[in-house]
Amino acid sequence: MERIDNVFYSYANKSSGLIDPEGIEALCSDLEVDHTDVRILMLAWKMKSEKQGYFTLEEWRRGLKALRADNVHKLKKALPELEKEVKRPTNFVDFYSYAFQYCLTGNEKEKQKSIDIESICQLLDLALGFQFRSQVDYFIDYLKIQSDYKVINLDQWMGFYRFCNEINFPGLSNYDPELAWPLILDNFVEWLREKQT
Amino acid sequence: MSNQKKRNFQIEAFKHRVVVDPKYADKTWKVLEHAIHEIYNHNASGLSFEELYRNAYNMVLHKFGEKLYSGLVSTMTSHLKEISKSIEAAQGESFLEELNRKWNDHNKALQMIRDILMYMDRTYIPSNHKTPVHELGLNLWRDNIIHSSKIQSRLLNTLLELVHRERTGEVIDRGLMRNIIKMLMDLGSAVYQEDFEKHFLEVSAEFYKVESQKFIECCDCGEYLKKAEKRLNEEIERVTHYLDAKSEIKITSVVEKEMIANHMPRLVHMENSGLVNMLLDDKYEDLGRMYNLFRRVPNGLLTIREVMTSHLRETGKQLVTDPERLKDPVEFVQRLLDEKDKYDSIINKAFSNDKTFQNALTNSFEYFINLNARSPEFISLFVDDKLRKGLKGVSEEDVEIILDKVMMLFRYLQEKDVFEKYYKQHLAKRLLSGKTVSDDAERSLIVKLKTECGYQFTSKLEGMFTDMKTSQDTMQGFYASHPELGEGPTLVVQVLTTGSWPTQPSSTCNLPSEMSALCEKFRSYYLGTHTGRRLSWQTNMGNADMKATFGKGQKHELNVSTYQMCVLMLFNNAERLSYKEIEQATEIPAPELKRCLQSMACVKGKNVLRKEPMSKDIGEEDAFFVNDKFSSKFYKVKIGTVVAQKESEPEKQETRQRVEEDRKPQIEAALVRIMKSRRVLDHNNLISEVTKQLQQRFLPNPTEIKKRIESLIERDFLERDNVDRKLYRYLA
Repeated sequence: MERIDNVFYSYANKSSGLIDPEGIEALCSDLEVDHTDVRILMLAWKMKSEKQGYFTLEEWRRGLKALRADNVHKLKKALPELEKEVKRPTNFVDFYSYAFQYCLTGNEKEKQKSIDIESICQLLDLALGFQFRSQVDYFIDYLKIQSDYKVINLDQWMGFYRFCNEINFPGLSNYDPELAWPLILDNFVEWLREKQT
Repeated sequence: MSNQKKRNFQIEAFKHRVVVDPKYADKTWKVLEHAIHEIYNHNASGLSFEELYRNAYNMVLHKFGEKLYSGLVSTMTSHLKEISKSIEAAQGESFLEELNRKWNDHNKALQMIRDILMYMDRTYIPSNHKTPVHELGLNLWRDNIIHSSKIQSRLLNTLLELVHRERTGEVIDRGLMRNIIKMLMDLGSAVYQEDFEKHFLEVSAEFYKVESQKFIECCDCGEYLKKAEKRLNEEIERVTHYLDAKSEIKITSVVEKEMIANHMPRLVHMENSGLVNMLLDDKYEDLGRMYNLFRRVPNGLLTIREVMTSHLRETGKQLVTDPERLKDPVEFVQRLLDEKDKYDSIINKAFSNDKTFQNALTNSFEYFINLNARSPEFISLFVDDKLRKGLKGVSEEDVEIILDKVMMLFRYLQEKDVFEKYYKQHLAKRLLSGKTVSDDAERSLIVKLKTECGYQFTSKLEGMFTDMKTSQDTMQGFYASHPELGEGPTLVVQVLTTGSWPTQPSSTCNLPSEMSALCEKFRSYYLGTHTGRRLSWQTNMGNADMKATFGKGQKHELNVSTYQMCVLMLFNNAERLSYKEIEQATEIPAPELKRCLQSMACVKGKNVLRKEPMSKDIGEEDAFFVNDKFSSKFYKVKIGTVVAQKESEPEKQETRQRVEEDRKPQIEAALVRIMKSRRVLDHNNLISEVTKQLQQRFLPNPTEIKKRIESLIERDFLERDNVDRKLYRYLA
């Protein structure tokens, strides 16, 4: 426990007592992982970190204990195992949902409910790119050219994951717009079909 | 009888054997045989009925029934064979007559024979399961005469030949036919059907097939139908005169099939004379005939209905999309009403008010009226025109009739909320300009709308009427408490409750000082009795009556809008004013001001102002003068611009946008209502429930409903079920 805390304080900001973005960047370079890498997001998930860009002591302890790592070297070694864990279907939905909420800004009182398009595109790429490359790329294209929505909410975010899992791509043969798909996906499919003819 | 001891009375059976002479039976039979001969030879008068009867009786009694019966069969048969020959020998015309005669003879003979042999009929025959005498007689006739090889086909052919001749216009002996046919009927329905009816129907079918082909090549639809009807009636009449009544339905089916069913499409679509032409030319008689004939065949009425519907939809579609017609909304609606009247007449006079046709009419109207998104607006404008002047001098009943017809069109509208919006605007203008022809008519229409759509639809409209009434009372109170104002200009204020009236943004306008002082007095009076309220003057909706004297002394009373009044009052203090000066003085927004000046300077008969230069456009530096040469044959001149008219494109877009905005909360309210009571509901059912709830006002777009659902999810009113993504759950 003491060792875990020590590692924490080696990255933490002296005045705030939290690891801030700077500290995270330092951690990343020590882990030899790019700070935009999805594995950092996975780590945050494991920690159940609440605020993007910051780790509290409690979160840090939670994460490293779970990963059985009490120094940076062990932490680095634990990353591939963490990745596998996240990718398990039962965990992935939770992770995917977490990824969205983690990126919402705002505090307890005025919690934001949606994320702007540009950030969503990056997040999609990060969270789903490895699993559903083509769907993600097409969807990002669409998001950039459509003008109906300027932000995406959690319902739409989760809807897209379901879409990737259930719908034939690029055939789209089993997509039924009469069902309860979020409207943005109806429009996405329509756009795709038009492109195909 | 009492139990007396029997004394000398004893009844014993014959002690001696009754010897029945074996020759007895032969002798008796010979007597009877002879009698039968005589009967057939028309010599019956010499016979003793009593004797013959007893003879027959005795034979049966002494167990010679078999001999008697078989004797009867063979005797009758041989006679019939003779008769058959004589019938066969008849030539030409007399064949049927001979047959008829012989049949009558046979029947008479049979009657007598049966009377004589009645005992056998009642005893021997039933217990030995033999055919009774009468029936036997008929069967023998059938077998020996009707089915005789030389008679059978000749009979049939003769009968069919006669029918054919009658069909081609000849007169035949119907009595004779009737008798012959009755004979066949008496011989049993099997005989009638097999030996006559079956063939009759076949031949008739062939006949009508040929005839219908001939007619359809040379007749137009109306003529053909007349002919078909005639033939049908002929056949029915034929049956009543000389065929079995049961044949009626069979022969009429044949005619219906051959003449109508087989040619239905060709008839209906016949160029220049088919159904569509009949509809266009209001040919009630022909249409009625077609209806009566077609209803007899499968899918007949369906065919008429389909053609009528597609024609109606096509013409309707053209009507509502024809750019020429769209120029005049009142004309447009009148044309729709005329079209409805036309078809109501047709359905009434020719299609006996058939409900299915009325429904087809309704569906067609619903279809094409909604093809034009401006229909709600135009119908409101039509009503506006009627209430403004069209109904002047019209009797109360006629007013009701017209309003009811308008309500019919209203019912066809899908977007009733759009109509409501326009109606409100137009009503406001009518009320405020005092331009309604009949208060009763206005109220009557509101009641009809309320009955149709419910209280909510009309509560605001009624609020408008209430405001008008209340304002009258307010004005009385105002002048009562300010008697000193009796001398100055008369102010009439209508105080409008904001929620009830169509909102219009008010704009700046500097009233002439006389007016603004007066208005202020009113404001303080009103606010004195109604604290907590706020008043804002709607200068764009008012009007004024002004007395004007022109250069040559002509006096006129001008009815103008408030804006126009402000402009004109400036000329009390100036001879010449430029556009800029007027704009600065009045602070009326430019587009309105320009329209206002145009209406007073550029319109013949209303040009109380003169403009330099004389062009229609208003330029910044243009100059305006009072037109001293102004003349009009009327003392009162109306120049006001506040009349309801067809909206311009941008106005229309704006109204449409407002309607769409209004729909969003209505959809959401419906969604919440439904989900609150159902708690959990799947997507498709939710969409259809919402649509059903709102259809009295408008047809919601499923995409829009989806958007509202997502909005409600975002605001945590609803959530998706975790397991079944098609389900929505209400979040309390």
